[in-house]
Amino acid sequence: MRATQTARAIADPDSAPATPAVRAHSLRMSYDRGQGQWLPVLDGVDLTVATGKLVALVGPSGCGKSTLLRILAGLQAPTAGDVALDGQPPEAARRAKAVGLVLQEHALLPWRTAVENVRLGLEVNQRAGSARAPDELARDTLALVGLAGFEGYYPHQLSGGMRQRVALARALVLRPRLLLLDEPFASLDDLTRGELGQELLRLWATTGATALLVTHSVAEAVMLADRVLVLTPRPATVAAEVRIDLPRPRPPDVEGTADFAHHVGEVKRLLRGEVASQPA
Amino acid sequence: MLKRLSPILLPLALVLVAETWVRLAGVPVYLVPPPSAVAGRLLSDPVFFAGHAARTLLGALLGLGLGVGVALPLGAAMAHSPGLERTLLPLAILTKVTPVVALAPLFVIWFGFGWAPTVLIVALFTFFPVLVGAIAGLRSVDAGALAFLGSVAASPAEVFWKLRAPSALPHLFAALRVALPLALIGAVVAEWLGSDRGLGHVVGAAHTRLDLPTLAAAVVVLATLGAFLTALLARAERRALFWQP
Repeated sequence: MRATQTARAIADPDSAPATPAVRAHSLRMSYDRGQGQWLPVLDGVDLTVATGKLVALVGPSGCGKSTLLRILAGLQAPTAGDVALDGQPPEAARRAKAVGLVLQEHALLPWRTAVENVRLGLEVNQRAGSARAPDELARDTLALVGLAGFEGYYPHQLSGGMRQRVALARALVLRPRLLLLDEPFASLDDLTRGELGQELLRLWATTGATALLVTHSVAEAVMLADRVLVLTPRPATVAAEVRIDLPRPRPPDVEGTADFAHHVGEVKRLLRGEVASQPA
Repeated sequence: MLKRLSPILLPLALVLVAETWVRLAGVPVYLVPPPSAVAGRLLSDPVFFAGHAARTLLGALLGLGLGVGVALPLGAAMAHSPGLERTLLPLAILTKVTPVVALAPLFVIWFGFGWAPTVLIVALFTFFPVLVGAIAGLRSVDAGALAFLGSVAASPAEVFWKLRAPSALPHLFAALRVALPLALIGAVVAEWLGSDRGLGHVVGAAHTRLDLPTLAAAVVVLATLGAFLTALLARAERRALFWQP
């Protein structure tokens, strides 16, 4: 963990010679709609995320962000193009449980308590098992996301924000090298959303994981990320990249600064520009 | 107090009305037995009714067990493979659209008097709803949970036991709520046509003798049995699905 943090301090994403945590090259994805019709979803996506960085993906809804994340997680294969996570194919990362997936809907198992939900990823695919007892590890991770004392609660007994914390813990307990977050806070109210964003920043800093965050909220992207990638409408390509050079740590009041507003404006302008240039 | 009693007020009133009407109008007992005569028949020979009820209950439960035992693995296979579903579903639907009652005499010829026709008829009655419930249930999994399990390379067996099977429980209980009354109907029909034991046989035999108090008493026992089993199932469902909102 310490090694990654050092790497974060010295690595520059543009000139890093080290193997990036995520590298996708001309990813294409089309869905077969039958009768020879194909729906193109990704149209040559290139992206690189240096180890230890937090990169946000924003784009119009339905542009293929979730598909991109599924491909990076190794859940589906692209029609064309390559993906490498730490220089390995996503399948290898998947088998090593090196990817922590967090989704918009918490996707917890309602018949399991919080601690049993967190343990889920440790129970399956035991070849890559950990030395420590799953329960102990799950308890510690719940405490890490601020849910000590809620181990025995079922999802229906927890608030939306707490459920999403459990989902975060379920991913973090794997000690993933890469966190893939697919609009993790989209179903939460504004206040809870802001809180969990701060929580994510803290967890990301303590674990040293690389993180790729898909979000609808430009402010959230600017608040959390080192770089924001703006995607075009479907079929998606990376239209532009905005580097967010706000200093870290970033407390909530960063939102009030002129720099923050400037970055938000820039990302929004890029988003609008791409939407406008798209033929109807 | 009134709240707890209110569900039985109407049946009680109906019993009173029936009793009064039969007595005042002098309706013969071979047409409508007065409730008092039915109760008298029940109490005069409780061992007789209990014995036949046990037989019916066991036949219904064994048949239901067989139906569920065949439907669950088949449903799992069909939920897994759309090709298998396309191949087998027409045959399964045939068991649903055929009035299985019509097969009962045939089963008696093939398997003789006794347990076999009862168990088989009940299994045929209950097989289809459980099969459909299993297929629908095993497919109704949360896409996010499935994605998470995929992201940690869970095996198909792990996905089945940790996600699909528990997700299927609400559908399965709904199917059992349908199948349970069907099991009793199947048992009664099979016993009527092909057994010398069980409440179905009691009803059939009493009918030929125009012994309406015995017939009505058997029906009362059957209704009680059905209500008891349904309540038991509802209790099990509440326990198993405590996590449902």
